[in-house]
Amino acid sequence: MPELCFFDCNARLGRSRRPRPTEFTTKQGLLREMDRCGIARALVYHAESLELSPSLGNERLLKEIAGEDRLAPCWMVLPPHTGEMTVPDVDAMIAAGVQAVRLAPVTHKFPLNEAASASLLAALAARRVPLLLSLEESSWAEIDGLASRHAALPLIVLDVGYRCDRNLYPLLSKHKGLRVETATYTVHRGLEEVCAHFGPERLVFGTGMPQRDPGGAMAAVTYAEVGNSSRQMIAGGNLQGLLEGVV
Amino acid sequence: MLAGQRLAGELVVDCHIHLGPWHSFHIPDNDPQGVLHSMDLVGIDVGVCSPHRAIAHDYRGGNEEVAAFHRAHPDRIRPYITINPNYPDEEIAAEIAKWREQGLLLGFKIHPSEAQYPANGDKLRALWETAQELGLPVLAHSWADDKYASPAALGRLADEYPATKVIVAHSATSWEMIEQATAEARRRDNLFLDLTGSAMLPGAVESMVESVGADRILFGTDLPFLDPRPQVGRVALARLTDDAKRLICGLNAKRVFGL
Repeated sequence: MPELCFFDCNARLGRSRRPRPTEFTTKQGLLREMDRCGIARALVYHAESLELSPSLGNERLLKEIAGEDRLAPCWMVLPPHTGEMTVPDVDAMIAAGVQAVRLAPVTHKFPLNEAASASLLAALAARRVPLLLSLEESSWAEIDGLASRHAALPLIVLDVGYRCDRNLYPLLSKHKGLRVETATYTVHRGLEEVCAHFGPERLVFGTGMPQRDPGGAMAAVTYAEVGNSSRQMIAGGNLQGLLEGVV
Repeated sequence: MLAGQRLAGELVVDCHIHLGPWHSFHIPDNDPQGVLHSMDLVGIDVGVCSPHRAIAHDYRGGNEEVAAFHRAHPDRIRPYITINPNYPDEEIAAEIAKWREQGLLLGFKIHPSEAQYPANGDKLRALWETAQELGLPVLAHSWADDKYASPAALGRLADEYPATKVIVAHSATSWEMIEQATAEARRRDNLFLDLTGSAMLPGAVESMVESVGADRILFGTDLPFLDPRPQVGRVALARLTDDAKRLICGLNAKRVFGL
């Protein structure tokens, strides 16, 4: 099998509330772990952007990864109404070199409804900025609603787990822009089945580092019986394509 | 593993596999062919199996299922005989006797949280006494602070039945569980910890080895409840010596199950 070029869509930097001794917090720690495992690149967010302030955490992220080509920034964003985002809009964010975002509606206590989030989501969709949204920060119903209202938005759902197919499959069928991150998607033969029913472009490799073990996430892809081309799409090609698709 | 190649040249035993569908979620390829294919893909030589039917509503039907699976593939599949304590004592005694007479009583499985019955309850006395008499492994579903079968409760059972080999399932599913399970394993030699679980915490296996030694830890995947490949990757990339990985992946199970 040709060596896969892994691009992790879901890695974190920074100190957090409940760290374990084994968790890295710095860019150097992340890069060491990536080298150990054989992960070429990572899309990374900062713990401070989740646990304290999106704006402060986003700024810290850019400073901490400045000059490191292997790490791409993923910003945590909020709806604009309260004026808490230092970088005022999506255009300015892209101009700053950020091409992917995360939302945390549960942690940051805002709704994904039209009143609160429509303008932000519309702006992201207009520029085709990938949005990473954890199932732990939303619900299947919210994901369905969001994807229905913003069909052009590339949406990657994280933390889906292994009990999700009865919810996931209808949404993959309905929403062509919906993707699934692979880290927790440990359904038996899950990658093969999604490839067969919906195509390999719907799966995006992620590890959840440092909270989750990268070896498990990588083995799911290296052992996937989907052919070399599809394996590489899942390992990194799909994410690369999404980032290059930002207009 | 990183080349997608099956583990070869080493004994790999999965101490915790299943068979068949489950009520609350979709499991593709959950039949015997699907299970064996997944084992072949990563190089699992032997799987010790308790069908989903056995831990759900029909333990006797599940035991028949795994007996057939074992008979069809005796070198690849070993049966757990599962007992549901919510049925009459006479029925349970007859079930144990039946598989003993057929030479297929090689280990027991209990799932106290599915049965909603404590692992040390009176209805499971016959199981524990038989396991003690024959020196059998008993795989027990467990969880941190589980009210039916916590690691502490299983530790006390291991003390009460010192000839048994009590396997605490899902020992690495949270840091709380790791602390509880390893604490119990440090207190006695006949308690073993299986790694089965979807929550693969970084450094967990290394931490468990440091706490109790590599010879008390058993590789397990929950196949096909979960896909086994990520759990192979987690052990393969663990910061452990090759000898420790050999023990975890198969040599410990060889000893525990008498393979």
